Amino acid sequence: MNKKVLMTLAVVGMLVINVEAYAGEVELLQAEYQKQGAGPFNAAAGEKMWRQQYIDKKSGKQRSCQTCHGEDLTKSGKHARTGKVIDPLARSVNSERLTKVKFMKKWLKRNCKWTIGRECSAQEKGDFLGYLKGL
Amino acid sequence: MQPKKTMVWDLPIRLFHWMMVLAFTLAWATHEDSRHLDIHTISGYTFFGLLLFRLIWGVVGSHYARFSEFSYAPSEVLLYLRSLLGSGVKHYIGHNPAGAWAIFILLTLGLLLAITGVIVLGGEEQQGLLAGYISFDQSAPFSMLHEALAWSMVVLIVVHVSGVLIESLLHRENLIGAMFRGTKWIAGQSAQVPTHHLVASVLLVSVITWGAISLNGYVNATDEKPYQPFKGPSLAMNELWNEECGACHLAFHPSLLPARSWQRLFKQQEDHFQEDLMLDEETLAELMAYASDNAAEHKQTEAAWKINRSIKKEQSPLRVTSVEYWKEKHSNVAEAVWKQETVKSKTNCGACHFDAEQGTFQDSAMKIPE
Repeated sequence: MNKKVLMTLAVVGMLVINVEAYAGEVELLQAEYQKQGAGPFNAAAGEKMWRQQYIDKKSGKQRSCQTCHGEDLTKSGKHARTGKVIDPLARSVNSERLTKVKFMKKWLKRNCKWTIGRECSAQEKGDFLGYLKGL
Repeated sequence: MQPKKTMVWDLPIRLFHWMMVLAFTLAWATHEDSRHLDIHTISGYTFFGLLLFRLIWGVVGSHYARFSEFSYAPSEVLLYLRSLLGSGVKHYIGHNPAGAWAIFILLTLGLLLAITGVIVLGGEEQQGLLAGYISFDQSAPFSMLHEALAWSMVVLIVVHVSGVLIESLLHRENLIGAMFRGTKWIAGQSAQVPTHHLVASVLLVSVITWGAISLNGYVNATDEKPYQPFKGPSLAMNELWNEECGACHLAFHPSLLPARSWQRLFKQQEDHFQEDLMLDEETLAELMAYASDNAAEHKQTEAAWKINRSIKKEQSPLRVTSVEYWKEKHSNVAEAVWKQETVKSKTNCGACHFDAEQGTFQDSAMKIPE
């Protein structure tokens, strides 16, 4: 084999490993949720919860994930209170999404609390991830 | 002897006079609104340069432009003023004694005004010739002095213009016209005054060139990349801070609040404006360290200095929008502006301030969206 072929193989190999590592973060977190007792994850259930409207007890206003993230996850959303732009959630347009376990954990926790008014169960969080990783 | 049309004011003097009027008016009109500080500064420097020219021209210029030609003893001024009440007012071809004194006082005030202006620019803004040599606190008294001098200048201008009008009426002579044309109708002896075209051209071209260079930045400015005449210091940035704070709102630079405010804010992180930040120990420690190292009391920017100055020691506000200085600075912003789609929230600093993310909040680096 000549040098060029070797180099190409090396680059492709690195890319594959990288992509695997990227994809792996979501699965890693899902596995963690399964250890906490969750069953197989259901993207459709995640999507349904994502679109559902919840009533905030304090303000009486309707809230859903779409309040801030918008209806189309391939587009930017807007923070409900500050108006700050939130980058698209869909991995197809924003490769930075779902790449850090710590980040995903934090926001699943915080945003469940704000939107639904309670922390989500391991099953629910895993379902959300199942829905989001397919976008 | 028949009066003859005679040149009294050479061209450089006339150009100096009218450009001075323009520079002062422009500086006066732009002194209040921080958005126009660059125009204020450019006209101020022009004013300074013109004054320096006048000092030189007062020694080497044509006859009636020379200081020696119109330096009168105070007694002569009194004599002249007293004669105004009687009938035998003496007619001077150049400046009369009272007018001459007004000119000297105006020139002195002007010089002090320009010098204090450069001091304030160097201290309060950390810009211009003296940037870095004067601290914010040192410049504070000069800021008041600068303003007092400007007002004195306005008073003297009123005196000067009134004098010109009175003398024009008394002698039935259009003195304002003479400052444009340079000529007066004179019977009898007078000194030879050349026009000095070359000096006048150099003066005019210098001022125009200086103006063009100073305003050049506006030519290439676009809505996306607006021109920022003053660059602030490069403040310390922290990636974690920008990521954590910037997820929901502008990552307000720590210099916008004192350290005690940041401590209080992080201490109650589970109720951060009705949200739970859920920051872990490690994250919290890094954010706190960055905040206290760069808090308002370190006076890294004019805004930091003024914010810190306006907060009482026993107070630790959690919102920059509740700080006195902030409120005063934004009191002229119309209610409708805050409600615009591109603004929406008072915490959306970047809607108007181009350098909100850098935390520098420079004068002239802002535009209210339409």
